[in-house]
Amino acid sequence: MRPPAQVPSATLLCRTALAVYPPSWRARYADEVRALLDDSGASPAAIASLAWRALPAWLWPSRALHDGPARMRASLATVLMAGSMLIGLGLVFAQLTQLQGFRPAQHPVIGWCYAVFDAAFALSLLVAAAGGLPLWLLMLRRARREVRPRDMAYLLLPVIASAIYLAALIGTLKLVGGPGGPGPWWFLAVTLTGFVAAAIAAAGPGMAMRRLQPRGLALRLATTAAGLAAGIMLIAAAAIAVAVIGLCLWARGFAGYHDATMPGVYLVLLAAAATVTAVSAARGTRAALPPGT
Amino acid sequence: MSDKLDRWADPPLLVLASLAGEPKHGYAITQDVAQTMGVRLSAGTLYAVIARLEARGLIEPLESEDRRRPYRITAAGAAALAQQSERMSKVASLARARLSNNLGWAGA
Repeated sequence: MRPPAQVPSATLLCRTALAVYPPSWRARYADEVRALLDDSGASPAAIASLAWRALPAWLWPSRALHDGPARMRASLATVLMAGSMLIGLGLVFAQLTQLQGFRPAQHPVIGWCYAVFDAAFALSLLVAAAGGLPLWLLMLRRARREVRPRDMAYLLLPVIASAIYLAALIGTLKLVGGPGGPGPWWFLAVTLTGFVAAAIAAAGPGMAMRRLQPRGLALRLATTAAGLAAGIMLIAAAAIAVAVIGLCLWARGFAGYHDATMPGVYLVLLAAAATVTAVSAARGTRAALPPGT
Repeated sequence: MSDKLDRWADPPLLVLASLAGEPKHGYAITQDVAQTMGVRLSAGTLYAVIARLEARGLIEPLESEDRRRPYRITAAGAAALAQQSERMSKVASLARARLSNNLGWAGA
């Protein structure tokens, strides 16, 4: 059966709709989908349907397109990166409120949000560290045994980047921190530098995983723990979101919440980091589960 | 009304039924399903179904020289289609009998 008409599919919309699919899906099916759209006509409805179907392709990736360990490694690397951003945003929230000793309006909802955030944040870090440590040690041992200095450096990046950042932070605070703490521009600089340091720290183990390609129980454990930690971190993120909205509604005079612009930007960043973390964690956890589940 | 019921159609089943006749590529499947079963499958729906059926070993891709890769049903796919068809046939018989007995429907 030959197609009746040729309608060029190489439109920006069509390319965009295909671009939102996972890379492994695109590599396998994109050419065929383009051919189908050429044959049947790339109507806006067809392109909208195509874009919408990308969501399940991300959430429930086909196991036939990726072998399990590769899927777990890719998801773990993404969760590390997005999760570190989420942790950074959580720390900014804590720094702006609790750690500075501010006492926000004692609205019960805000109070509960702080309690939930504290518990979920700590538990999430604990679960991620406990589950990821065996894999990290395993890779470190292998990199040492096989004398792979670059992989050693990648694996030690979280420690090195954190140590350098903390040292720079302490130095900066000593230099510019008066009795009222550093000014808003210094706070912004310190925060942005912190996010860069977190990204570098998170990229290290991801790069090492890509090069060393670990498999087995340690990888499965780390991926499952990352999924669990991400789930708990999402509870913390939800608590932050409710607290920020609550502060804007019920405590407008507290810590700059009279202006909704910055909290709005913060919430958008939080939602983006939480979405990427959740999707990657779900994909990794699914790959870590035994076949048939 | 029948258009509204299209959403109840099971796309994987439609694709398997289409491929039961002969191997087809994506466009041929959508044409066959539209002409014989009256359901329009969008590109997004079709390739979501193809990916799922392929992952489960119910269909398999064939070699192709151009971008239009044909698919054929596997033995496992044929067995799944036969089983599902049997079940649907029983449901259809039961529905016809009850419509006839209780509502006096004489059939189309």
